[in-house]
Amino acid sequence: MTHQMTRRSVAKGLAVSAAALALPAIGRAQAKSVKIAMIAPMSGPWARQGQLLRMGADLAVEDTNARGGIKSLGGAKLSIVYADAGDSTEKAKNAAQRLVADNPDLVGGFGSWLSSFTLAVTEVTERAQIPWLTLSYSDAITNRGFKFVFQTSPTAEWQAAQTVPTALDLAQSATGKRPTTVGLIMDNTAAPTSFAKPLREGGFEKAGLKLVVDQIYTPPLSDATPLIEKVRSAKPGFLLLLTSAMPDCKLVLEKLDEFKLSHGKLPLVGNGAPFGSPELLKTIGPELLEGMLFSVANWPMKGQEEFIERFKKKTGEPFLTQDGLCGYGHPAILAEGLEASGAADKIKVAEAIRAMNLTTGPAAQCFPGPIKFDEKGRRIGVPMIFAQWQKGVPVTVFPTDLALATPVWPSV
Amino acid sequence: MSPTVKRQLWAILGLAVAVLALMAFLQSDYFELVLTQVLLWAMMSVAWNILCGYSGYFSFGHAAFWGLGAYTVALGLIHLDLSPWLTIPASAVVGGLAGALIGFPTFRLRGHYFALAMLAYPLASLYVFQWLGYQEIPLPMKREAPILYMQFADQRAYVALALGLLVITLLISLSVENSRFGMSLFAIKQNEPAAEAAGIDTWRWKMLALMLSGALAAMAGGLYAVVLLVVTPEAVFGMLVSAQALILALFGGVGSLWGPVIGATVLVPLAEGLNAKLGDVLPGIQGVVYGIAIIAIILLAPEGVYWRIRDRLAGLLPELAPMPTPGATIPAVPRAAPSPTAGKDLLVLRNVGISFGGLRALDGVDLSVPEGGLYGIIGPNGAGKTTLFNVINGFLSPERGNITFVNESLVGLRPNQVCRKGIGRTFQVVRAFTRMTVLENVTVGAFVGAADAAAARHMAATALDRVGLGARANALAGGLTNRELRLMELARALAPQPRLVLLDETLAGLGHDDLDGILGAIRQVRAEGVTVLIIEHTMQAMVQLVDHFDVLDHGRLIASGTPETVVRNSEVIEAYLGKKWAEQVAVAVK
Amino acid sequence: MPFSLVDFLQALTAGILVGSTYALMCIGLGIIFGAMRVINFAQGDFLMLGMYAAFYLATAGGLSAFLGPSGGPIVAAFLAGPIVFALGWMIHRFIVSRVTGAGAAQTEGAGAYGQILTTLGISLILQNGGLIVFGSAPTGIRTPLSRSSWEIGDILLNQGRSVSFLVAVGLAVAVYLFLGHTRQGKALRAAADNSQAALYMGIDVDKAHRVAWSLGVGITAVAGGLVAGSQSFQPYTGFDFVIVMYAGVVLGGLGSILGAFWGGLVIGIVQQMSTLILPYQLQNTAIFVVFLLIIFLRPQGMFGRLSERT
Repeated sequence: MTHQMTRRSVAKGLAVSAAALALPAIGRAQAKSVKIAMIAPMSGPWARQGQLLRMGADLAVEDTNARGGIKSLGGAKLSIVYADAGDSTEKAKNAAQRLVADNPDLVGGFGSWLSSFTLAVTEVTERAQIPWLTLSYSDAITNRGFKFVFQTSPTAEWQAAQTVPTALDLAQSATGKRPTTVGLIMDNTAAPTSFAKPLREGGFEKAGLKLVVDQIYTPPLSDATPLIEKVRSAKPGFLLLLTSAMPDCKLVLEKLDEFKLSHGKLPLVGNGAPFGSPELLKTIGPELLEGMLFSVANWPMKGQEEFIERFKKKTGEPFLTQDGLCGYGHPAILAEGLEASGAADKIKVAEAIRAMNLTTGPAAQCFPGPIKFDEKGRRIGVPMIFAQWQKGVPVTVFPTDLALATPVWPSV
Repeated sequence: MSPTVKRQLWAILGLAVAVLALMAFLQSDYFELVLTQVLLWAMMSVAWNILCGYSGYFSFGHAAFWGLGAYTVALGLIHLDLSPWLTIPASAVVGGLAGALIGFPTFRLRGHYFALAMLAYPLASLYVFQWLGYQEIPLPMKREAPILYMQFADQRAYVALALGLLVITLLISLSVENSRFGMSLFAIKQNEPAAEAAGIDTWRWKMLALMLSGALAAMAGGLYAVVLLVVTPEAVFGMLVSAQALILALFGGVGSLWGPVIGATVLVPLAEGLNAKLGDVLPGIQGVVYGIAIIAIILLAPEGVYWRIRDRLAGLLPELAPMPTPGATIPAVPRAAPSPTAGKDLLVLRNVGISFGGLRALDGVDLSVPEGGLYGIIGPNGAGKTTLFNVINGFLSPERGNITFVNESLVGLRPNQVCRKGIGRTFQVVRAFTRMTVLENVTVGAFVGAADAAAARHMAATALDRVGLGARANALAGGLTNRELRLMELARALAPQPRLVLLDETLAGLGHDDLDGILGAIRQVRAEGVTVLIIEHTMQAMVQLVDHFDVLDHGRLIASGTPETVVRNSEVIEAYLGKKWAEQVAVAVK
Repeated sequence: MPFSLVDFLQALTAGILVGSTYALMCIGLGIIFGAMRVINFAQGDFLMLGMYAAFYLATAGGLSAFLGPSGGPIVAAFLAGPIVFALGWMIHRFIVSRVTGAGAAQTEGAGAYGQILTTLGISLILQNGGLIVFGSAPTGIRTPLSRSSWEIGDILLNQGRSVSFLVAVGLAVAVYLFLGHTRQGKALRAAADNSQAALYMGIDVDKAHRVAWSLGVGITAVAGGLVAGSQSFQPYTGFDFVIVMYAGVVLGGLGSILGAFWGGLVIGIVQQMSTLILPYQLQNTAIFVVFLLIIFLRPQGMFGRLSERT
C-alpha cells in the first residue's frame, strides 16, 4: 500500500487522535467510520450480479477494517450502504436519489453493472459530486463530460481494438497460422453494439480479416438454427460471439455442437464476463465450453491465488468472476482514495482518485495494469485480459505475466 | 358553468395547492423525485383514461406514445440541440399524429381485438428503436445554460413542471367530460351501435379521443425523459409502462376524473416504498404485494376506489329510488299541425335482400310506410325483423333492392348519417348510464339535432315530457323500473325530433299495467306527427296499437294489411302456430 | 439477400419444430379464451411455472437420474402439466371465478376490466413470487437431446425439438378429441358458445370454466416443460412468449382450437423463416407485422368465427 507519510498527514493523524482522546469515554469506544455506497441490481433479472458484487465488497470492507481502517483518518472504519437498483432505470435512479438524500456523508460509491443503470445512477451522483466507480464499459458513460465518474473497465471500443489482433496472435503462436476470415454473431444491446462498431468500420480490415458472417439478433433468441446455418455455409476461420445474455449463449453453443462445429472445429472468441459465468457451466456443461476464449476487462490473475481460494471458501462459489473481483476492487480503490486525500470529503477523494497511479497495494492487485484515470475518467494503458475455459474453469491465459494457465487455440 | 364543474375546478386547485405545500415541506431530493413520478404517472393515467375510461376502448399500448415523447425529447436534444421547453410541446404533436396513424387501422376493430392490436405497437417500436441503435441515450448535461435546457439543480422545479402538466391534463379531461365530446364517448362505451344510431359520429369522436390521449401521454413521456436523464427502449416502450397506466386508472376509478390521480397517489409511492424497504431482502416482494393489491381491489371495488366511495356516499348501492305512483298521467302536449306530406310514403323499401353465408335473411322485401302511420312488423323469432331494422338503419348494407326515405336513398349511409336524416331507433337491451340522471341519459340522443349542449338538454327535456317521464328527469337512471327504462329509451330516440322512429321490441316482457303506459306513450307520439315503425313478435299487444301489419317469415313478407285481415291470414297463422292450427282457425273463423 | 435451398429447408424445419411447441402453448391459451372469453395476461407465467416444474421434477425429483438424461426431461415436461393444472384449479376457484363466468364474462363495463386486471395481478404475483422462490439466475434442464440431431441429407433435425414436436402434436390431437368427443369436452364448448343456454341445460358453467382454465394453463405448462430442455429460463421468461401466443391464437382464430394449433405453427415458421429475407434483429417484428395484418385483414383468423352482437 502506498501512502505518503507527509508531515501534514502525520499532524492530522495526531490531531485526530488527540481529539478522539479528548472525547468522553463512551465516544472514545466508537471509532469513526467512513461511508461509501454500492448501487447494483439485487432484485429482478440481474439480482445475481448484484449479489456477487456484494460478496466481493463485503470482503473488501472486512479486509480494510482488519488492517486498521483508513489510517490517514485515524483508523476510521470503512462502511458500505447498499441500495437495490432493481429491474429498471427508473428504479436505479430512485435508489441513487434515495441513497444520496439519506446519506449526505457519502464519500464515494460504485455500481451499477448494467450500463443503462450506471448511466442513470451517475446522473445523480455526478450532481451530488460523489466519486463513482463502475465496471460498465459503455462509451456513453464517460462521454458526458462528467468529472466524478471513473470507469475501471476499458471502453468497448478499446476492447474491440485489442481483442481481435490478440486473438489472431494467440492463434498464430499456437498453430502457426493466422485466420483470414471471421464470423460475428451478436445481440443488439449497447455493449456488443459499441464493441462491434469500430470493427465493422475498418477494424477487421486492419487485422487482415474478411467478415463472412455478420448476424445481429434481438434478444432473447428463440432458436439458433438459421444463425448457425449461415455459419456452417460460410465456414469462417473463427467465430466472434457477442451474445451478452447467458440463455442466448447456450442456444448458440448447443446449436454449434449440433451442427458438428464444436470440440475444436470452430474456434470461439467471446467478449464480456457473462462468458465466464458459473450459470453457463451449469446449464451447458464443461465439454462444450472447453477451449472457448473470451476477452474481459478484469478476471482473476496471477498473484491472486490466495484471494481466489478465500473467496471460494467464504461464498461457496465455484470460481471467482469479474463481479466478485470488481466488487472487491472498487471499495479498495475508494479506500486508497480516502487514504491519499486524508479527509472524509467526497471532492477531495475524487481529486485523489483522479491523481492516482497505483501499481501496488490491495486495490492495484485487483486490476490488470496501473490504476490511473484520464481526464474523462477512463483507465489508460490497460492490457486486455483473455480467459479460456479449461476443464470447467475459466482461467486467465493472456497476457502471459498475468496468466494462470497457457492458452490453447482449438484446432482440428 | 354547472355547479359540478365548479366543484371539480376547486378540487383541481386544491390538488395544486396541496402538492405545492407538500413540496415546500419536503426537504429531501428523493421524496421530491418520487412526488414528480407520482404526478407524471397520474398524468399518463389520466391521458389513458380519456380514451379508454371514457370510451371503453381498452388500450394496452399507451407506452407507444410515452416512448415516442421520450425519444422526441432525447433525440431532439442530442441531434438538434433543441431544448425540452420546445420538444415537450412538440412531442404532443408527435403523440397526436401517432394517435391518428394508429387509429386509422385499429379502430376498425372492437373489444379484445382492439386491445390486442394496441399491445403490438409499443413492442414493435421497442424492437425498431433497438434496431436503429438507440439502446441507451443519456441526455447530455448542459452546464452552460441548464435552465434553458430544463436541467434544474433543485428537484422541486421538476415537481412544479409535472404539476403544471398534470393540471393542464386534468382541465382538459374535465372539459371533455362535460362536453358533447365526452357524452359521445360515454355513449359509445355504453352501447356503440345505439350511439351510432342516435346520430353520434362514433369514428370521429374515437379518433379525437385517441389523438388527444396520445398527445398528453407523449408529453408525459417527454418530461419523464428529462427527469430520468436516460432513455432506453425497455424503459419507455416496455409492457410495464402500458400496464402501469392501466392499473393506476383501474385501481383508482376508471372513467372518472380523479380515479387515475387516486391510483397514482396510492400505488406509485407504495411500489417505491416496498422496493426501498424490502427490495433486497425479498427480491420481487414489491411485485407480489402490487399484484395482491390489484386483485384485492378487483374483488372488493371492481370499478376502482373512486366509484366505490362515491356510490357509498350517494347511497346508490343498497336501495333503489322510490317507486313512482302508478299510472302517472301523460301531460297533454299540443298536437303538432298535420304535416303537409301526411299520408304520403315516407319510408319505402323495394325488393330488399341480404344474405348471410347461405342464409337469406331478407328476401325481396317490399315495404311502404306513410307519414303519420303506426306500422307494425311482426313475425316469429328468426324471421328477420331486427335484420330489417339494421338494414334500414345502416348497420348492414342490402345486397339487393333500395331503401328511400323522403325520396332519398339510405343505402350506403352510415347509421349516424341515417339518424341525421330524421330516423330514430330504440334498442331491445336498454343500457343506461346508471350513475347519471334520466335527463343526462336522454341528452345523448339529442346531440345530433342540437347546436350545443344547452339546446340538447332542452330537447331532451321536451322528449321526456312527451313520453310522460318528465317528473323523473333528475332521478338517477339506476333506480328506474322496467317501464320507466323503456320510456327513457323512447325519449332518447325522440329527443332529436325525428320524423320516423324505429321501435325494436319495446313491449317485450312487459306486464299488463306497464304495457298500457307504453302503448299510451307510443300513441301520443304518433299523435304528434311522428311516424312509428314497431317490431314485435307478440300479436296481442300490437293488434290494438297499429294501423297496419307487415308479417315477416324467413325473410319474406307473407302478409300485409290491417290487423283484422292479417290475423285471419292462414299463412300467418301457420307461421306462428303451425299448419294444424292454421286449418283449425280457418275453419273457426269461417 | 440470396439464400440457398438448404438454408430455406433448414429454416423451414426449424420453424416447424419451434412452431410445434408454440402451437401447444397457443392451444392452452385458445381453450381459455374460447371457453371463457378472458384475455389471460398470466398465460406466459404459467408457461414459466411449467418450465420450473419440469426442471425440479427432472433434477430434484430424480426423473433424469431414473429415466436417463434424455427421457427424464420429457416425462418431467408431461408431469408438469398436472401440477400446473392443480395450481390453476386453485387460482380459478379462489380468484378468477369471482370476476369471470356466466354473468361477468359477456358484459362490457366493470366485468371486462376486472378480468384483465385480475390476470395482470396474477401475472405479477407469479413472476415476482417465482423470483423469490427460484432466484434470478437463468437455469435450464440439461439433456443431450438439445445438441444432437438427426440428419436428412444436408438438413439437421434437432432431436430435442423433434421429440417435443411429436409430444406437442400428440397432445394437441388428444385435446382435440377430448373437446370434440367427450361429454366434458362438449360441456366446455356449450358453455363457451352460450353460457346462459348451457346453464339452462343443466351444465355447471362455473365448473366448465374451471376445467377450461386449468386445462388451458396445464397444457401451456407442458409446452413450457418441453421448451425447458432446449432453452434457459428465469422467472421473467413468460413474457417473451406472450406475444407469440397471442399472435398465434389470433392468427388461428379466437375460439378455435384447430386454429390455435395452426396459428402457433405458422408463427413459428414466420419467426424462423423471416431470417432468410429480413435482418435477424427484426425476427419478432415480423411476428408483429403478421399479427397486425391478420387483425386488420381477417380478424377472425384462419378458422375462427366473426361474431359481433349488436
